[in-house]
Amino acid sequence: MSESGSDLDATEHTALMDGHIAEARPDRELAERIARKRKTKSDNQRSYGSVEQIEGGPSGASIAQQPRVPAAPVEPQIEELELKYGARHVIKLFVPVTLCMLVVVATISSINFYSVKDVYLAYTPFHEESPYASTKVWNALANSMILLCVIALMTVLLIVLYKKKCYKTIHGWLILSSLILLFLFSYLYIEEALIAYNIPMDYITLGFVLWNFGVMGMIVIHWKGPLRLQQAYLIFIAALMALVFIKYLPEWTTWAVLAVISIWDLVAVLTPKGPLRILVETAQERNEPIFPALIYSSTVMYCMAAASPAPGAAGTVEGEGRDGTEAGGGEAGFDAAWRERRDEGAAPRRLRVDSAPPRYVTRLDPPHAPHAPPHAPDLDEEKGVKLGLGDFIFYSVLVGKASSYGDWNTTLACFVAILIGLCLTLLLLAILKKALPALPISITFGLIFYFATRSVVKPFADALAAEQVFI
Amino acid sequence: MDLSKLPNDMKLQLCKSYFKVGCLFLPFVWAVNVCWFFRDAFIKPAYDEQKLIKKFVIMSAIGAFVWAVILVTWITVYQTNRVSWGATGDALSFIVPLGRA
Repeated sequence: MSESGSDLDATEHTALMDGHIAEARPDRELAERIARKRKTKSDNQRSYGSVEQIEGGPSGASIAQQPRVPAAPVEPQIEELELKYGARHVIKLFVPVTLCMLVVVATISSINFYSVKDVYLAYTPFHEESPYASTKVWNALANSMILLCVIALMTVLLIVLYKKKCYKTIHGWLILSSLILLFLFSYLYIEEALIAYNIPMDYITLGFVLWNFGVMGMIVIHWKGPLRLQQAYLIFIAALMALVFIKYLPEWTTWAVLAVISIWDLVAVLTPKGPLRILVETAQERNEPIFPALIYSSTVMYCMAAASPAPGAAGTVEGEGRDGTEAGGGEAGFDAAWRERRDEGAAPRRLRVDSAPPRYVTRLDPPHAPHAPPHAPDLDEEKGVKLGLGDFIFYSVLVGKASSYGDWNTTLACFVAILIGLCLTLLLLAILKKALPALPISITFGLIFYFATRSVVKPFADALAAEQVFI
Repeated sequence: MDLSKLPNDMKLQLCKSYFKVGCLFLPFVWAVNVCWFFRDAFIKPAYDEQKLIKKFVIMSAIGAFVWAVILVTWITVYQTNRVSWGATGDALSFIVPLGRA
């Protein structure tokens, strides 16, 4: 298919963990079904025979190469299979993305705190307080450049750490950031929610609930837990981060940051020297599963036959919080968490559809491999779509920001735009079969729709409503 | 984490670990333990480790229930008596509602 198994260098087309795919049964069944429908049974039996014996082969290279010759009649079915599989999993991404946006929009609409601009972060020194549009524009651009530099720095730092195999550092960072997110930010969220609804609360109950919530979150994200709970926690923390962005970035800066991040995403993933591309290729060369920190997956990844499940080992689908360098002074925990989100946002913003045997990875995962490579061969990966939490966050920022102006037309337009962008990205994924950035298309559509709806559709709809004309 | 893919002894390990962790004032962990392993403990056909898993699930369920009762009682007591407790009530309060007592 599209795997370049012959050359030993890892390129963007090399599938990750080629030789370690143990299962292919579901795909084969589906392929068989399709084949039966097409009444080319005898052909397929012949080719399945050869695919089967090859699968027992020792390395990914051979899996990639040999099926090409005898399995020709099976290829179109496997292609179709991939696309169907991919499509099915795309739909599975719609739900979490929608949920995340819902949480953000609901919070923005009901809790005033997140729409009020009182304090700003140290990363955005220009506060857009002047009445002139041009000043605001350069303020916004300057702010977004600063943020971009911070992100780029974090990403490079991460690459350095990964290349030097400082897994412990990365892991520690991860844990620190998720601690901050799960405890501090949730605490602030609960506090604001209670204030908004005027509900009295005592310290004892609060402490107890927060303790339970936070510890469960840590367990389920970094260790093992039910998949749904894990997904729910990830959606929640993505929503929390999005809310932080919406609250602490000045108005125009938010939009500028969205645009700049999309471009960065494009550059970092697709250019040959892009940091994220380097990350993926390093992981491929080492033949390690890229530890899915900060990734949302629609199915489960788990480690079979691992003697002692390393904490947060490839078992769980997503880890959380990366980074977390030092907690530089400044506002409370926002700096550290902010920075962590920065970095987290930078790397795991890709889409990935895994399927086997023709296994293509179209997603860049932040590479954290906390356990030694010998465990890698035991990894059995379920096929599923993976989307970075950073993607969730920025999608939600866009929709949340749109909803903070109070107009539902705009909010819905942005929501639809993002989903369309997601579909297109996944389509491209199925076609191109390599790591792709998930942000650019969606954010571009989102921004276009936002500004178009705000300037064109809204006045139109208002005029229609005023005149009671229904179309 | 897909339980169906795990070997039985690992399931037992997991159930036990969740139970142990839940002993740290974490009834939520116990509750999750119950929900997650319920099917394995009661509905699946018998296998070796099932007896122990059943034991842990039942213990977790009892523990979670007890904690739930304690929590609900405390919340009720607090909410109804917060005003009458005066200074103590305020000291205990994290959020004091505005515009009413």
